[in-house]
Amino acid sequence: MSMEASELQDLSDDADYAASQQQGSASMMRCDSGKRSSPSEHDDAELIYLKDNVAIHPTQFASERISGRLKLTKQDSVLFLSWIPYKGQTSNAKLSEKDRSLYTITAVPFTEVRSIRRHTPALGWQYVIVVLTSGLAFPPLYFYNGGVREFLAIVKQHVFLARSAEDANVFLVNDFQSPLQRTLSSLELPSSLPVASGQYPSDGGTSNDNQGRASADVGNRVSSVNQYGLRKQKSHDPTRDLSIHLLEKFSLVTKFARDTTTQLFSENNGFGSIDKRWNNQPVHSYPEKLSNIAEEKHQESPHSYLDNDPFKDEEIANNVDVPDDPLEVNKLSLVWGKPRQPPMGRKEFTAFLDSEGRVVESKALRERVFYGGIEHQLRSEVWPFLLGYYAYDSTYAEREYLRSVKQMEYATLKQQWQSISPEQAKRFTKYRERKGLIDKDVVRTDRAFEYYEGDENLNVNIMRDILLTYSFYNFDLGYCQGMSDYLSPILYVMENESESFWCFVALMERLGPNFNRDQNGMHTQLFALSKLVELLDTPLHNYFKQNDCLNYFFCFRWILIQFKREFEYEKTMQLWEVLWTHYHSEHLHLYVCVAILKRCRSKIMGEQMDFDTLLKFINELSGHIDLESTVRDAEALCICAGENGAASIPPGTPPSLPLDDIMLYPLEDDVL
Amino acid sequence: MSYAYLFKYIIIGDTGVGKSCLLLQFTDKRFQPVHDLTIGVEFGARMITIDNKPIKLQIWDTAGQESFRSITRSYYRGAAGALLVYDITRRETFNHLASWLEDARQHANANMTIMLIGNKCDLAHRRAVSTEEGEQFAKEHGLIFMEASAKTAQNVEEAFIKTAATIYKKIQDGVFDVSNESYGIKVGYGGIPGPSGGRDGSTSQGGGCCG
Ligand SMILES: Nc1nc2c(ncn2[C@@H]2O[C@H](COP(=O)(O)OP(=O)(O)O)[C@@H](O)[C@H]2O)c(=O)[nH]1
Ligand SMILES: [Mg+2]
Repeated sequence: MSMEASELQDLSDDADYAASQQQGSASMMRCDSGKRSSPSEHDDAELIYLKDNVAIHPTQFASERISGRLKLTKQDSVLFLSWIPYKGQTSNAKLSEKDRSLYTITAVPFTEVRSIRRHTPALGWQYVIVVLTSGLAFPPLYFYNGGVREFLAIVKQHVFLARSAEDANVFLVNDFQSPLQRTLSSLELPSSLPVASGQYPSDGGTSNDNQGRASADVGNRVSSVNQYGLRKQKSHDPTRDLSIHLLEKFSLVTKFARDTTTQLFSENNGFGSIDKRWNNQPVHSYPEKLSNIAEEKHQESPHSYLDNDPFKDEEIANNVDVPDDPLEVNKLSLVWGKPRQPPMGRKEFTAFLDSEGRVVESKALRERVFYGGIEHQLRSEVWPFLLGYYAYDSTYAEREYLRSVKQMEYATLKQQWQSISPEQAKRFTKYRERKGLIDKDVVRTDRAFEYYEGDENLNVNIMRDILLTYSFYNFDLGYCQGMSDYLSPILYVMENESESFWCFVALMERLGPNFNRDQNGMHTQLFALSKLVELLDTPLHNYFKQNDCLNYFFCFRWILIQFKREFEYEKTMQLWEVLWTHYHSEHLHLYVCVAILKRCRSKIMGEQMDFDTLLKFINELSGHIDLESTVRDAEALCICAGENGAASIPPGTPPSLPLDDIMLYPLEDDVL
Repeated sequence: MSYAYLFKYIIIGDTGVGKSCLLLQFTDKRFQPVHDLTIGVEFGARMITIDNKPIKLQIWDTAGQESFRSITRSYYRGAAGALLVYDITRRETFNHLASWLEDARQHANANMTIMLIGNKCDLAHRRAVSTEEGEQFAKEHGLIFMEASAKTAQNVEEAFIKTAATIYKKIQDGVFDVSNESYGIKVGYGGIPGPSGGRDGSTSQGGGCCG
């Protein structure tokens, strides 16, 4: 901070800086239509973006800098980056003409850019670092007038840009060069929407319409490849190349174990050599025959998504033309989704703790849990951290103390309802109603699971006590159906009444809004989900829209109890600990919804499901969803959606903490 | 597998009155006191025969808790029949009938056939609502009424079938335009074709085409 502050001082009284300030916002311009010739190398290049007063600091002294002009140009569908220093306008005489030419960036195609790191400190100058696929990087480009965000937004309109999983400030330039990909990545900016609606008919069109379009596409295949992707040095049939790359891609997947595959994708940059090849392929233009091969390969591959019939697409009526998936999720997850590791064991967990028991790097721990889950015996120690009941920086001793204090506090809370006499209960309708509901529901919760099975099961009684105590602890929220579904695995894991209670309390801090009487927590999540589907699968969104399914009520159960009824008990616990890490996003569960929907999209649209049929279909997926590949897909989608995804989810959407906690749970009179 | 008609039913009523048990008793002919409470909606289906015609009932079993009403309302759309259930041992479940009925009237189509069921009649010793009160309520609101027990199966079959017979009769009487699926009826093989089926106009006169 002191460094940045001095930097600020250093530059603010600089004449050059003052000049740049005067130029102000006029220094940035965009040319969305028409061609504008750039004065530099490409005569027929289209100028996409121009920004003045972007500087390089050749030395560590901020005053020694070379100011120049940053440009994005486009030629033959390839985006180029240039930075040209101003002539004879150096802030410091020490910098020679040689330095100037040394740092000049002349038209680097984005196909050679691997990533862009942005740095936007609150104080000091914003800059970006452009890293090339070769591993080389240009020195930081300082934006003296600000505007890094706009710059990235514009890049995003032209190349596929996705936020790195490892570092939110790193944007991976992936350059799929698919028009559909571009649609996705450009959704953020309203000005680009016309492009998007050109790709998909927003009115959906009739199936005849679609067929007409499809055959037109076949006719234009080669030219569309040229238009959208391959650099023109390929003099031979580009689709042939494509087939080779695809086959290589898929054979790699089947040949190696999954972890081998991901080793090919370097951790920090997201991409390795294999992706480089993959990058240049237009995802959608490959010939039909080839796509069949790809599908076959996919079915053989170890993670054929769903193990049972409801998902199989064979029966889709051939006369219904299903719009392509703009993301082709199974291929995406090959690129993005890491395979699951074995669950974390005690030894490994202990390594995350310092000698006094603090979790040194909570992010690393959460990452580990995200990718592998936790061995069952260890869950009772890690879940309280994930849920926020234990602080990561607490010591063994502090946690021990916390447990004993909380145990007493629990006993006091429990006493509140235990001390209600029959006479008092007679006059306490709300209490009677709640107790009645809870009594009825705990005997209808996971009774087939051994921990809760059998008459007079003590664990069922403990569950009842916890829920009743909670309804006193949080009297405004009270009890609502679905809560017992959350409590059941927690009690099973914690095996301790008070600890289970406090873990449940922590979970409800985030998911309580799911159980609001007015259901607003559910409605915000369903709304966010619809936004995500719109972003990540526009054709499917349009389908839901046309078929009056936009309320997404068919995903209600998924979200209310976070897939508890969709997976078997152990799998649910695995999923929950992944979701609770909030590793990529607090809202991964919504991406899980998108992932499942995308896997069924051709069935849903192919069979022209209406709301009722869809609801029934989704209900019947229960027990047929493969957890591992779903989580991988969800991760891929989440990374892929990046900022756009995050922006689709309104602030305060559960499990995000509420924006203000004044009226957490709007009161209503009768609680049934 | 093939049916002349498919009717969509919805089962509504307070939580714990035995909706899921009634459905299971009807579809699987068993009583399973230990099962998970309903979240959202669950589905069941069974074939029955009315007037020698195979009819498929597709039954939607809903969650009863008050907070879920807004979701439940979206399930009424296109239901041909509803079973409105209360528990004869819990007075409050009977007291809530009016509000359930209001929901149904508002969100279902006007011709939906509603069957009122006083469930758990095996627990006569704990009865809190008399049979007469049930009858009276049904009469006032134009519902069919039965007391039943999901446990002993008493009247369960009858309740579902009687509802279907009533709907079937309405079709015969030309109350529905069966080609319009918003009535919760789908015509299958051997059913009355709707107007689009090219028969005799928009309604079929009773007995005229099915005898
Ligand atoms: N004695 C008796 N118990 C019943 C009957 N129907 C349901 N139950 C019990 O009532 C409880 C709630 O039933 P359920 O079908 O889950 O109610 P729902 O919430 O309306 O679906 C269950 O625990 C059943 O054991 C019945 O006809 N007789
Ligand atoms: Mg039920």
